[in-house]
Amino acid sequence: MSWIREGELNLLERISANILTAGPMPKHVAFIMDGNRRFARKKNMERQDGHMQGFNKLAETLRWCKHLNIPEVTVYAFSIENFKRSKEEVDGLMELARQKFEKLLEERENLEKHGVCIRVLGDLNMLPLDLQQVIAKAVIMTKNHNKCFLNVCFAYTSRYEITNAVREMAWGVEQGLIKASDVSETLLSECLYSNNSPNPDLLIRTSGEVRLSDFLLWQTSHSCLVFQSVLWPEYSFWNLCEAIIQYQLNHKSIQKARDLHREEQVLQQLEADCACVAEQLPHHGNGKPADAQRRQEALQHYTVAREARVQDFLEALKHKRDSFFTNLCSETVST
Amino acid sequence: MYRNFFFFLNYISVLLMAVIICKHHRRRISCSRPSGPPPAVMALLYGLIWRLLLAVVRIKRATASWFRLSIRSWRERFWQRTMAALLLPVPMSELPVYPQAAGTDGGRAKRLSRWISDGKSLDKLPAHIGFLVAEEELSYTDVANMVVWCMAIGVSYVSVYDHHGLFQKNSSCLQEEVVRQQHHLLGGAHPEYQMEVLKSSTGRPQHLVVSCRPTVKVLSPEDGKPSIVQAARKLCHSVEKKEWSSKDISVSMLDVLLRESKNIPDPELVVKFGPVNSMLGFLPWHIRLTEFISLPSHRDVSFEDLFGALQQYSACQQRLGQ
Repeated sequence: MSWIREGELNLLERISANILTAGPMPKHVAFIMDGNRRFARKKNMERQDGHMQGFNKLAETLRWCKHLNIPEVTVYAFSIENFKRSKEEVDGLMELARQKFEKLLEERENLEKHGVCIRVLGDLNMLPLDLQQVIAKAVIMTKNHNKCFLNVCFAYTSRYEITNAVREMAWGVEQGLIKASDVSETLLSECLYSNNSPNPDLLIRTSGEVRLSDFLLWQTSHSCLVFQSVLWPEYSFWNLCEAIIQYQLNHKSIQKARDLHREEQVLQQLEADCACVAEQLPHHGNGKPADAQRRQEALQHYTVAREARVQDFLEALKHKRDSFFTNLCSETVST
Repeated sequence: MYRNFFFFLNYISVLLMAVIICKHHRRRISCSRPSGPPPAVMALLYGLIWRLLLAVVRIKRATASWFRLSIRSWRERFWQRTMAALLLPVPMSELPVYPQAAGTDGGRAKRLSRWISDGKSLDKLPAHIGFLVAEEELSYTDVANMVVWCMAIGVSYVSVYDHHGLFQKNSSCLQEEVVRQQHHLLGGAHPEYQMEVLKSSTGRPQHLVVSCRPTVKVLSPEDGKPSIVQAARKLCHSVEKKEWSSKDISVSMLDVLLRESKNIPDPELVVKFGPVNSMLGFLPWHIRLTEFISLPSHRDVSFEDLFGALQQYSACQQRLGQ
């Protein structure tokens, strides 16, 4: 089964899609694809087949999203907590992932045609080496595509991601690229695995569970959350439409809350900068209290310097991350 | 009347749908010819239908909540009347029912014992429950009511949150209201419930709660992402001073830092009030495994509504990744 499904929507679906896209559409939808095992149990299938069905549904959902003009999708494929499952199941899931990513490499032309960029979010070091290499190849192959984006969270939990971001910032401090006082909400967001995507507008969890299970906690703090009771392999176009209507109903108030949050963020940054300048100024001055104009100038000066520092650091971080993937790829060539 | 209006709207939307389908078909058939309905017209039509659809959904929602409220008030009136009819001698039953009957000491004790037994009937009770109020107008009395109910049931920590931070700004107001409702609902014979106001700007660990008295926390967006940033800054400072290496930083370390400034367990249940389906910045680090249950409004919320949410929570099963 391939990642990219061709095919048009049927007439009724197309009309509904047209109606829905007349309203505000989410630019980025995140899915927690829950219920594969329950589906397998219900249908008396093997567990592995349930996971397989789940993958097929993902391919179908991507097709719907394409028709609904949703350019970015993030899915929770495998949590770090899932390593606690039985060895047999974990191995099965790893095998499935390996097959699917290999399949992806074969579909190169198709991916290019649709401009699909695939990113994998999570700590790849936790995975078997051969899977890491396949993933790295797929990521590098599609990294310049820019029409639609699929983020696969693999060996991922949100707390781990946030901790990792803190670790990266600490690395920057160690390298002398940034100061500890440069740490801010924006910088932390830039250090997350998801730094290349906007925050999801809509998060959908299937199978009736009503929690986030450590998925995109930071990014979805102002997203519309929709919990649906259908099991993932039974997910339909109409379920997706329902979720989008929910989003559209909530759109205005969430937008307002987001704006409020953004203002707050700017204010906090300004406060932090002011505090840093206030700390610096007495050292420069000749013991005289700094006047307003000088303080203003110092603040501007400081802000520019901070932004330059942060920019350099982000550049270095990006380079570090890119070289992780290229190294993985070149290893496969040499072996 | 509502119903008629609803049907009318449905009727219109179906009619419009039919028109669209016909037009669409014509266009598909006459694909080769350049003359079809111009796309601008279609876009307009689709936009119209979309507006209509949203209006229908909104009306449906409003009627549903209206029905819920009216049924409840009707039921209450029914019970009051029956009780009055049964308890009072026939000639007196025409008198209005004494409205504060439940406010007497006997009523209070009975009510409290009912709440406690209700709490015991649940399989699983959250140790920490969060109230997320996503409505424009806040009602301190209703929130205070819920706080008192939770305490009576046996929940140890209650957090109250709104994304404007108004509860935190007016926390003394809320505190007074909680004390008042406590007196009103439970009577004066109960220990004062502690009320702690969390302000992330202090940053330092609050005094340790040694007693197992229930605690109310008032949270604002400041306690969400900014507190994570603060913890990150702290860690980076210690890395700057070479106390730690960046590789030492772990999830549990950050968790301890974030917990220390709060000293509360993660909330197991968040009850959200209002029409917005979003966390609105509620403690992103702490809601990893939190169950998220929505109620339509916190205004005039009843014990049964809250208890329903608790029942729903106690039926939830967590697999923790397994």
